[in-house]
Amino acid sequence: MSEFLANIQLGLSTALSAEALLFCFLGVTVGTVVGVLPGIGALAAISLALPLTYYLDPTTALIMLAGIFYGAQYGGSTASILLNLPGTATSAITCLDGYPLAQQGKAPLALFVTAINSFVGSSFAIVLVMGFAPLIAGFALKFSSTEYFSVMLLGLVAASTLSVGSPFKALAMVVFGIVLGQVGTDVNTGMFRFNFGILELADGFGLVAVAMGLFGVAEIMANVGQASGAPMGVKGIRFKDMLPSRSEWKEIWKPTLRGSVIGSFVGALPGTGPGIASLMAYAAEKRLSRDPSQFGKGSLAGLSAPEAANNASVQAAFIPTLSLGIPGDAVVAVLMGAMILHGITPGPNLINDQPTMFWGLIMSFWIGNLMLLFLNIPLIGLWVRLLSIPYRLLYPAIILFICIGVYSADNNVFDIYVVLAFGLIGYAMRKFSYPATPVLLGFILGPLLEEHFRRAMLLSHGDLTIFLQRPISLVFLLISLMFLGSVFMPGLRSKLVSRVRRNAPSDDAD
Amino acid sequence: MKKIFSKGLVSAGLALAIGAASMFASPANAVAADSYPDKPITIVVPFPPGGSTDLLARKIGEALSSSLGQPVVVENRGGAGGTVGANYVAKSDPDGYTLLMGVTGSNAISAALRDDLPYSPVTDFDPVSIVISSPLVLVVREDSDFKSVQDVIAYAKANPEYFTHGTPGVGTSMHMTGELFGLESGTKLLHVPYKGSAAALQDLLGGQINAMFGDILVTSEYVKSGDLRPLAVTGTKEHFLLKGVPTIAEAGIDGFAAFSWQGVFAPAGTPTAVLDKLYTAVSAALETDALKEVFAQRGFLVEGMNPADSKAFIASEVDKWTKVVEAAGLKK
Repeated sequence: MSEFLANIQLGLSTALSAEALLFCFLGVTVGTVVGVLPGIGALAAISLALPLTYYLDPTTALIMLAGIFYGAQYGGSTASILLNLPGTATSAITCLDGYPLAQQGKAPLALFVTAINSFVGSSFAIVLVMGFAPLIAGFALKFSSTEYFSVMLLGLVAASTLSVGSPFKALAMVVFGIVLGQVGTDVNTGMFRFNFGILELADGFGLVAVAMGLFGVAEIMANVGQASGAPMGVKGIRFKDMLPSRSEWKEIWKPTLRGSVIGSFVGALPGTGPGIASLMAYAAEKRLSRDPSQFGKGSLAGLSAPEAANNASVQAAFIPTLSLGIPGDAVVAVLMGAMILHGITPGPNLINDQPTMFWGLIMSFWIGNLMLLFLNIPLIGLWVRLLSIPYRLLYPAIILFICIGVYSADNNVFDIYVVLAFGLIGYAMRKFSYPATPVLLGFILGPLLEEHFRRAMLLSHGDLTIFLQRPISLVFLLISLMFLGSVFMPGLRSKLVSRVRRNAPSDDAD
Repeated sequence: MKKIFSKGLVSAGLALAIGAASMFASPANAVAADSYPDKPITIVVPFPPGGSTDLLARKIGEALSSSLGQPVVVENRGGAGGTVGANYVAKSDPDGYTLLMGVTGSNAISAALRDDLPYSPVTDFDPVSIVISSPLVLVVREDSDFKSVQDVIAYAKANPEYFTHGTPGVGTSMHMTGELFGLESGTKLLHVPYKGSAAALQDLLGGQINAMFGDILVTSEYVKSGDLRPLAVTGTKEHFLLKGVPTIAEAGIDGFAAFSWQGVFAPAGTPTAVLDKLYTAVSAALETDALKEVFAQRGFLVEGMNPADSKAFIASEVDKWTKVVEAAGLKK
């Protein structure tokens, strides 16, 4: 315990130096801004900022780059809530309940709640990183492709009833997403498939381009012709408008905690990311909710769970990175590259060899998240005022940001055509009321399912029972089965729910 | 082999056309070579920032910019295992202002593996210099029963397609090294491709696969921590980051050698004077302390080949890997 306290002290002495504080603030501010701006996400921003950090002390450089990464998760929900345009690809799910809240004139409340969710989600995961990183990373190593497949299957099954409206249309869109995910390179043979001879498609469509097209560009096209924003009657923002009422607090705290747990779990598994975390958290919340019909219409639970989850996942992604040297997701992989550039090779010895860097970085997470909390709450008023900018000025600017964002990922003009094409597809989908979220779901999970299924088959020499033989995989398959059961036996479910209600009437008195 | 020739013919035709065009422009070119460089130079890195190619390009860029007196900009154009960026440079003006930091995958293996590659590493580039090479290391888990290369060969002979090795993907130098190992030892390993080396390393540490032909720097960290055991390096001599580890040749496969390498490439048709000027600057850069430090830290071996040697080297590499691809039946 005294060693633990000594480590914390070591970390604080690093993270509280004037230089570290300055670059932490710089990082989280840049993160918030790129998070708010549609199209430009953490990956693009960190890639752009990386060369600038070559001249910094490695710990300072990492503090700043990490700040951009988690800062972007705070900002990402802002545009989703206010404009129905996801600020980052991973905050698309926040549009579902955030935007309806804004339409009800509750934008300040929604923004305040997401700031709190983000802070709680991050804090939860940072505690895990501090106390249990090597333990959790060791557990994550037990996950082979067999387990990954079962987890992804659960994700797909759980999320299959994500959106409101026709379940058949939603299913069709999941399949559409999976089909889109097939474009690219076949992992096992290395052959290009469905790329129509276009080399730029050999890595498939970019997640950012697909998400920004379907959600961002499509939203703008659908609103062309509307004179101005501010349909929500926003005038002066008072602090009172932001604060949730007692009953609203009650509505959000459980989903926030559940989101934090799901996000931390998903984040600690290498190769996943905040997108999957928020999808799964939303799906789980909707399944657990007593009144799922509110989801998609401005449910605070539907807003809170994914927001807590994506922040938790981002912080938890540092668990495998710092304790094993294996990046939790694509953005952390760039951060690891930054460490190598600075002469620190991440590996299993990092925590022991570089205690100053490890604990300095961890303590900077606390400082950075506190900065973000106090940065974001006063900014709510400013963001909400964005709505009074006329669309004729706002929309061209957003289109420009989206184009810059997708271009800067690989410096390739082709990606701009992709985003515009998906804008047209998304617009057509809206006109015929096909939901876009299931497309994203299929697009993210489909290729992962395929990759892990095929690798599991390769390693088991084609033995399908491998999914049942491995206990962790079996557990996830059984949970998937339960989810399916709850879909197909709604009668049974409502009976169960009413029985629970009878037995515990005091639980939801208001 | 035939495929390569037919593609070579088409490219040769193209090269002729370009050559003819450049003849008309030759006076201008001569002038250009004298005053080269009179504007910023771009080095395209065909991968996202943060990797070893990016690092090398930036360090070389810094050195070039101080010796040539013009800014050198590094531009990351990732995609399709480096081929998107390589294709971009192959189609750029051969004036020495757009260069490529090419690697084994983008500038040799891709030609061996893909019929649908829109450029030829042999005819569409004039190499400036193959800068560094880097052997790989065959690693297993510390608790593995495989104590030597001979153990691996004996097991793989008795159990074809049961010795699993993970790679960052089809067509990477790790993959090709594994195939070469199988061919030269008369065994059949089971290739398990991943998306990137971190995922493969994760499964090796987790005990899901038997081995990996891994990057020396990254795996040496796990060797130090006692998680992984090196069996042999794929180069021709002992590596300074893994003292005491034999080469695969020493461990029993005579003449085995496989490297990954990185080099600076210009589009085909770049004036010789410009290539020479660049080569002089690159060789001088390799002598600087900044680069020596990078090499020592990253485990790179300095090559610094001249343009003519580099060109011959690329041709021999394409040839070598084409034979491996065909013998292993990787092209279906």
